[in-house]
Amino acid sequence: MKLGAAWTVFRKEWIDALRDRRTLAVVLLSSVLMGPLVLIALSGLVASFESHAERREVVLAGAEQAPTLVNYLQRQGFSVKPAPADYEAQLRRSELADPVLVVPADFEAALRRAEAPVLLLVSDSANKRSEAGSGRLQRLVAGFNRERATLALALRGVSNELLEPVRLDERDLASPQTRGTQITGMLPFFVLMAVLYGALNAALDTTAGERERGSLEPLLMNPASPLSLVLGKWAAVAAVAMLIAVLSCFSFIPAQWLLRSDTLAALFQFGWREALWFVAIVAPFGAALSALLMAVAIRCRSVKEAQASSAVLMLAVSLLPLVGIFNPGGEERWHLWVPALAQNTLMTRVLRGEALGAEPVLLALGVCAVLALLGVGFVARVLRRAAVR
Amino acid sequence: MIRIEQLAKRFTPPRRLFGPAPAPVLAVRDVGFVAADGRITALLGPNGAGKTTTLRMLAGLIRPDAGRLEVDGLDVVERPRAALARMGVLSDARGLYPRLTARENIVYFSALQGMRRDEAQARAEALAQMLDCTALLERRTEGFSQGERMKVALARALVHDPANIVLDEPTNGLDVLATRALRETLQWLASPAGGGKCIVFSTHIMQEVERLSDSVVVIAHGRTVAQGTVAELGARSGTRDFEDAFVRLAYADDAGVTP
Repeated sequence: MKLGAAWTVFRKEWIDALRDRRTLAVVLLSSVLMGPLVLIALSGLVASFESHAERREVVLAGAEQAPTLVNYLQRQGFSVKPAPADYEAQLRRSELADPVLVVPADFEAALRRAEAPVLLLVSDSANKRSEAGSGRLQRLVAGFNRERATLALALRGVSNELLEPVRLDERDLASPQTRGTQITGMLPFFVLMAVLYGALNAALDTTAGERERGSLEPLLMNPASPLSLVLGKWAAVAAVAMLIAVLSCFSFIPAQWLLRSDTLAALFQFGWREALWFVAIVAPFGAALSALLMAVAIRCRSVKEAQASSAVLMLAVSLLPLVGIFNPGGEERWHLWVPALAQNTLMTRVLRGEALGAEPVLLALGVCAVLALLGVGFVARVLRRAAVR
Repeated sequence: MIRIEQLAKRFTPPRRLFGPAPAPVLAVRDVGFVAADGRITALLGPNGAGKTTTLRMLAGLIRPDAGRLEVDGLDVVERPRAALARMGVLSDARGLYPRLTARENIVYFSALQGMRRDEAQARAEALAQMLDCTALLERRTEGFSQGERMKVALARALVHDPANIVLDEPTNGLDVLATRALRETLQWLASPAGGGKCIVFSTHIMQEVERLSDSVVVIAHGRTVAQGTVAELGARSGTRDFEDAFVRLAYADDAGVTP
């Protein structure tokens, strides 16, 4: 009888929540589509940087006055493009994507006399794309300087080793997957938001909404225990949250077909295995969050009041994962004890292709189970009192 | 049959952060009556007399401080679920689920009463026919009028064919025709053909009591002050007009309204 009533309530609340089409549409647009959209937009940005880097072009104003420099640049594999006459205005308007190197009139003669002619690097720090190119231009000019100096000293019999007493080699330890998490690191955040917004409306509607409509009192006049009613409601809210979470997790799979950057597509490995792990990690969290939201909302007389009251909880869920995002690699033991942060940490590990380990998974599961029990117990305890007040 | 004896309930308002502790409110001091099967019993009393609180205690929503509540011999405090299974309660709050159809609203409650699905469907249709709202069954309850809501809420309360029917101010917000239809339904339910139900309803409207009830319980200031038929109460207070009789009985303690 007890579980029968819970099942009846679950079925009714599930149908009721799915019929709330407008709310569902908003949730789908705002939380499920958001992640893939941001990912695709980001890939477009990365792709434009990449194609720029591949073009190997340098924009020079007054190139004809500096054949030595042009020769050096061409030997480095760069083609030299003359700057447009109004390059300053174009840079300001972000129409020109490259910084401009301005060559003074008597560059070649001054260089021969060793008078250190001044090159002017013109860029606009508000123009992000030209900023990216100015580092490259600086390195090219430094390389030109070094070549001239080495040549001059070699003529005077100075060894190259004296000029460079220390050499620097680089080795990058990052695997393609860990490099990818720099960009895909916010995916878990989007999944957590999807769970939150999926649970929110259903949780408020089954508690504060029921009070506001005046349907809680008649509901309690049925011969079903408050606990079985609350169990049914909680299961329905958690199921809606999970539905949204599953949609959100699996929406990343088609999203990666649309990635415009090849490097990003190669770095971002998100398949069925990762999606299923995401769902498994997020499921207990959705259940706990549903119970907590219901516990907050049952004390409120109207949905509006409940929205205001649940703001703190929502803020906590949105801010906690940021601890992990702003502190990548700085993963600490206590992170696994904090809901939302723990799920973020575990999902990041999945993205990096690391082993999860049984202990962290069980720990996160345990914390969520305790929270869900507390929430459901509290709602069942105060349900009668809430109905008559 | 419903029997209530020496019922009492006090509420303590929530304490303010600053300031003195508020005094407890005695909502019900001493209410007691017997409502027999096959009869319509009216709880008549002014606003704030304790009618709704009494009915909420009867439905097991609030625990009484003292006294006894019995439904067909079942103690409500000790066996609330068994008592609720024998009662159909139309409470003060009669909210429906706006995204469900009238039929789904009714069938939901029958499932919670433990009825089988086919049984519940048949019962929903029979009730709709009795309350003359078959056309409403497949519509979502969003946008229903007061009268339509009331019909669905009543059908929902009667879905398990209870032997005892409790209604809190059932004609609130209904127009003349809807009130008349409800009255006829209740009279039929109390008659042998309708099952000889025990019906208790609360109201503060005199005409309703005169037209509908077989016996009247007058409640004032949380106490039962008189019980009997309309004629008996008139005779007791020495007036032929029922309104005068009610005012004398209900406001006897108040200054300025001395007979």
